[in-house]
Amino acid sequence: MHTLLIDDDPITTFLTERLLHHEGLSDTAASFQSPTEALAFLLRQIPAGLVPQVILLDLNMPVVSGWDFLDLLRLHEVQLQDQCFVYLLTSSMAPSDRVRAAAYPLVAGVLLKPLDQHKIQQIRDHVLPAA
Amino acid sequence: MMTLAPVADTDARFRSLFENTPELILYQNEASIILDANPAFLTLVGKPKEQVVNHPYDEFLPADVRGLFREKLAEAFTGKIVRFEVYAAQGNSAPRHWDVVKVPVREDNRVVGVHMVARDITEKNQHEQEIFAQNKDLQQFTYIVSHNLRAPLANALGMVDLLALEQADTPKFEQAQAYLKTSLHQLDQVLLDINTILAIRDKVGLANSEAVPLAEVVEQVRQSLQDVLHDCGGTLRTTIPTGFQVRGNRAYLYSIVFNLLSNAIKYRDAHRPLLVELTATEGAGQSQEIVVADSGLGIDLAHAGADVFKLYQRFHPQHPGRGVGLYLTKTHVESMGGHIAVSSEVGKGTQFTITLP
Repeated sequence: MHTLLIDDDPITTFLTERLLHHEGLSDTAASFQSPTEALAFLLRQIPAGLVPQVILLDLNMPVVSGWDFLDLLRLHEVQLQDQCFVYLLTSSMAPSDRVRAAAYPLVAGVLLKPLDQHKIQQIRDHVLPAA
Repeated sequence: MMTLAPVADTDARFRSLFENTPELILYQNEASIILDANPAFLTLVGKPKEQVVNHPYDEFLPADVRGLFREKLAEAFTGKIVRFEVYAAQGNSAPRHWDVVKVPVREDNRVVGVHMVARDITEKNQHEQEIFAQNKDLQQFTYIVSHNLRAPLANALGMVDLLALEQADTPKFEQAQAYLKTSLHQLDQVLLDINTILAIRDKVGLANSEAVPLAEVVEQVRQSLQDVLHDCGGTLRTTIPTGFQVRGNRAYLYSIVFNLLSNAIKYRDAHRPLLVELTATEGAGQSQEIVVADSGLGIDLAHAGADVFKLYQRFHPQHPGRGVGLYLTKTHVESMGGHIAVSSEVGKGTQFTITLP
């Protein structure tokens, strides 16, 4: 599963990478602690036809938050639609988060941290229905 | 059976109430002419009775509320007791918040006049607003704290799960163990932060204030940061009038100066020598101003704006920090009755202005 992971916290990144590894899904996973760098990476991937199937995006990051990242992604929504599913990760859910997330067509779900095997399997089943 | 003799007859009792109450009392006719006014009203507008009685109430009201008072008077003349709140000056007095009641006086089933009683609720309103702001503040505080408690806790839970998946004694297993420990320490740190913050809030308004010489505190901070300041080639320039003293808590003042100076050092611009200028001035009236300006990286306020002083907010992710310093600084300043403001330009520097009463 081609996954892009964006989280400023190295512990969360480690957890996600290891969980993907244990599910046998870590073949093409890229992790970024800076959303800006992740965006630059993504914009290089799109023309090469290497759109990630899943973006795991942390909401609470300094300077450029997950919401900011989604706003920056707006311009490229058309190219990503139906190919790329964004899952928002947060350690505490504000009731408004789901409502806000609904405004972004790329967002497939909002997940409460920590990520675990069960949640990863759900993502996989949604993104790779044939598998 | 014994009956108590009345202390005064009814007339005298009501007269005494009228003469001595701090509330404003007017008696008006339908044309809004003042037929009687109590001493509280006369004192407030600063006029003798003969310049008030037989004058229209309009003369004592600012133009923008005359319509409202006329409308309410007309309503009272239909026989209703009318109550409303208004923010207005009376005569030449400063504007105040008033709780106004208009009570019709009837004779033979006909309203012949209206009594107006106006109570000054300015302070009550202020207190309500303060409580409202404080509640909002606390709500935000709990939200932030719960988020920041949950973040390391979620990591710890994740690591515990992961430890069951990783093979023991492999590097990944050891890494997960180390991260579990880190997460628990982070959790503990958040709880310690809460403790510190609550301890300061607890002391807000306490009378443990003293006259603290600012120059002395700044010198102490300079000494404790001397090495780092020297290592980065930075300069601290202070302009403090002789004998400048701040009314407050010495430890808080130290913490404020320390935080601002250590932030200036931490977020300096590697391309320019760091200059920090601390300037104290006696401001207008009783207030004092302390300005700390640095030539550092600056903060993008258009983006960060309202978040600068919030708990666990960070603006320079490439530098270590927990996002507690400026929140504590603000809490300290506010606990001394002051407030703090920031202006900044990316690539130029940041300026904090503290105003103390």
